[in-house]
Amino acid sequence: MGTVTVKLHGAFSEFAGGARSATVEATDIAGALAGLVVRYPSLAERLRDEHGKMREHVNIFANEEEMRYLDGERTALRDGDIVHIVPAVSGGEV
Amino acid sequence: MARGVAVLLGTKKGVYVFRSGAARERWRLEGPYFPGQPVYHVAFDPRDGRSLFAGVNMTWGGPRVEISRDLGKTWKPGKNPAFPTGDERRFSRTWHIEAGHAKEPDVMWVGTEPASLFKSTDRGETWEPVRALNDHPDSKKWEPGGGGLGLHSIGVDAADPKAMTIGISSGGVYETTDGGKAWTRMNYGLGSPVPVEADGDLTCVHHVVASPSVAGARFQQAHTGAYFKDMGEKKWTSVTKGLPTDYGFASAIHPRDPKTAYLFPLEFPMRMSPAATGAGVWRTRDRGKSWKKLTNGLPRGANYEVMREGLATDRLDPAGVYFGTTNGEIWGSADEGRTWALIAQHLPPILSVETATL
Repeated sequence: MGTVTVKLHGAFSEFAGGARSATVEATDIAGALAGLVVRYPSLAERLRDEHGKMREHVNIFANEEEMRYLDGERTALRDGDIVHIVPAVSGGEV
Repeated sequence: MARGVAVLLGTKKGVYVFRSGAARERWRLEGPYFPGQPVYHVAFDPRDGRSLFAGVNMTWGGPRVEISRDLGKTWKPGKNPAFPTGDERRFSRTWHIEAGHAKEPDVMWVGTEPASLFKSTDRGETWEPVRALNDHPDSKKWEPGGGGLGLHSIGVDAADPKAMTIGISSGGVYETTDGGKAWTRMNYGLGSPVPVEADGDLTCVHHVVASPSVAGARFQQAHTGAYFKDMGEKKWTSVTKGLPTDYGFASAIHPRDPKTAYLFPLEFPMRMSPAATGAGVWRTRDRGKSWKKLTNGLPRGANYEVMREGLATDRLDPAGVYFGTTNGEIWGSADEGRTWALIAQHLPPILSVETATL
């Protein structure tokens, strides 16, 4: 179990009442997100739907790598790692 | 005596509130709240006179229902409506929020996408699925309309808190008389002139409203025309004759007289004002026997599109009538539609119009 910093960007900071980061104890991204939600319950439904599935348009990075290119939420974390939660910017309607 | 009116706009880029005194001559903007975020509907709770609810359908963070207990000064999200574990559906958008009956002051209702109804017994803080409707045998046959598969209309009966009417695109109208334990399809008279099924075939209804003062009185704009239905009737009465088209989305009913109702007809399939008659609100005062186009004060040649929630009445006397357009104009009439004045323009596309009579 290491100490991990979770940084909230854009809308996800607003959903946490303006908080920009939180320090949690975790061994992987799933654990870091669980710790984050304990600290900021308002993020629970902003990150996942009612069945626990991660919402669309959320990018989560372990340090500088997007978790989809690692081991997803099971990506291991070490003491001092930084997890970034970033709203995805994409597309357009017209 | 009412002190005034607030016109509540859900727009593609947030909530806008316009407040006025009872004369409804000068309007003051409050907001926008949730700037940049699409809001399908804003509801007012006339029972406490101060709660607002906003269906915010944000890409980031998913949909949520925001609640204000001070007429918009402050907001906080309630807990999301949620489908039960094991259900393949997931709450993806809020379409309509409705205060419950005055005899049930803590009850709220929300209609969602996929088409489902949720009930709150704590003034919107938490929601429970209305499973008898959400799992109705018809539900597997409901199909998305052009805007998605939404439960977009909720009408609470004026007299009976256990009687409600809801509308789904595409599915149709369903009614309960026992508070939501059982639901009956009520499509007879809509759509096909020769329905295959006794209670009418599944069809696309666009906006169904219940009279807030007369039990059983219902009115709607459907894909196939305009219809009234009164207490005890098992069939909708088509009142499309006299209108420029049978198509449109918005509908509203007078706060006291259930024979008076309003529409904003559009041309199918382009969703534009009818070329032959131009834009206008159409009013009946005789339950659809005749219609009158109301344009006094509206710009000639305007081509407005009004969405399904884009037309509303207030509860003052004479009643105010309001419509909002997708080009960001909100118009109001303080004399039941006889004359119109621009309340504001250059707003984001307006998705819904509601009123709070304060």
